[in-house]
Amino acid sequence: MTTLYILNNPDLFQQCSAVLDENDGLLLIENAVVLAQQLEPKTAGFVLEEDLVARGLDSNGSWGNKDYDGFVALTLEYDKTVSWL
Amino acid sequence: MRKRLSIIFNKAPYGTQSGRELLDIALMAAAFDMDISALFIEDGVYQLLDNQQPDILHMKNHSSTFKALELYGIETALVSEDALIHRRLSQSQLLPVAQPAKQNELQSIIAQSDFVFML
Amino acid sequence: MATFSLLVTANPHSSQGQFSAIQFAKTLISQGHILKRVFFYADGVLVASRLNCPPSDEYNLTKTWAKLAIEHDFELVACVTVAMKRGITNAAEAERNALTGDNLDPAFEISGLGQLTEAMLESDRLVTFG
Repeated sequence: MTTLYILNNPDLFQQCSAVLDENDGLLLIENAVVLAQQLEPKTAGFVLEEDLVARGLDSNGSWGNKDYDGFVALTLEYDKTVSWL
Repeated sequence: MRKRLSIIFNKAPYGTQSGRELLDIALMAAAFDMDISALFIEDGVYQLLDNQQPDILHMKNHSSTFKALELYGIETALVSEDALIHRRLSQSQLLPVAQPAKQNELQSIIAQSDFVFML
Repeated sequence: MATFSLLVTANPHSSQGQFSAIQFAKTLISQGHILKRVFFYADGVLVASRLNCPPSDEYNLTKTWAKLAIEHDFELVACVTVAMKRGITNAAEAERNALTGDNLDPAFEISGLGQLTEAMLESDRLVTFG
C-alpha cells in the first residue's frame, strides 16, 4: 500500500525520510514548507501552496505545488496518510 | 478483514504526554479487535527503558502498561535496532516487551497498515 | 465520493494545525466528499471551550468549527479523558466531578476514545492534524 506522508515540522524531515518507500509521497505543510526552498524530494514531493504564499516563499521547482483542493485529492490518490509528528 | 493499525513512538517519555496518549489509543483500538503494531523508533526507544522512576517528578509511570501490551492483544511490538545502536542502548536495558527490528521490517509494517498514528 | 474523518491534536493557541484542519474540512466538503467526524485529542481538545476568547480581529476557531459542523452535519468530539484533564467539561461531567462550572461549546460533545476507533473503521480516510 502507498502512503502519503504529511510533514509540518522541518526538524523531523530526516526522520520522516528514513521511512519513505519509493512509491510513497511527501507533502510539506505549515512550517515544513521552508524545505521546499532548500531541498529536493527523494520520492514524489509536494508542497502546500497556501502555506508557501502565507510565508512569502517559493518552491525551488522540484516540489509539486498543491492547493487545498490538491491536498484533499492527494489523500485519496494514496492508500493512506501518515502525519509525521 | 481486520484493519491494521500502527502506533509509532518517536519521542522520549515525560517531556511531553505523547507516549501516554498514544498508548491509550493503542489500548482502545485493541478493544475493537484491530490488528495493532507498536513501533518504537528514534527517541521513542527511551519509552521502553527498564528503570524509569517518573514518580520522583510526581508523574505517572506509563511504562508498566507497555508490559501488558500482549495481554491487551497487541501482539506486534518492535523496537528499531538502528535507533538502539545510535543511542548506545542494548536490548538488555529495555523492558522485555519489543522485538528488535531492522529498518526494512519497520517500513514494511507501516506499508501494510491501514492507519498509522503518531503524536 | 469518499468519507473522511479527522484527528486534530494541534494546540489551537500555539500552532497552525487547527487552521489547517478547518481548511481541509471545508475543501473536502466543497468537493462533495463526506466528513463524518472530527475527533479532538491531546491539546486539540482546548478548542472545544466556548470560553475561548481571541481578540476580535483574530479568527475564532471554536466558533468556526461549530458553524461548519452545524451547516454540514458532522460531529465534533473531544476525548473525555484528556478534555477533563485540561479543564474542558460539559455539565454532566462537571457535576460528576464536583466542578463549579462547565465550558464545552454546545456544538461539541465529549466522549471516549472509542469514537476515534469507530471513526477510523467507518471512514475511507483518517487525516491527522497535529
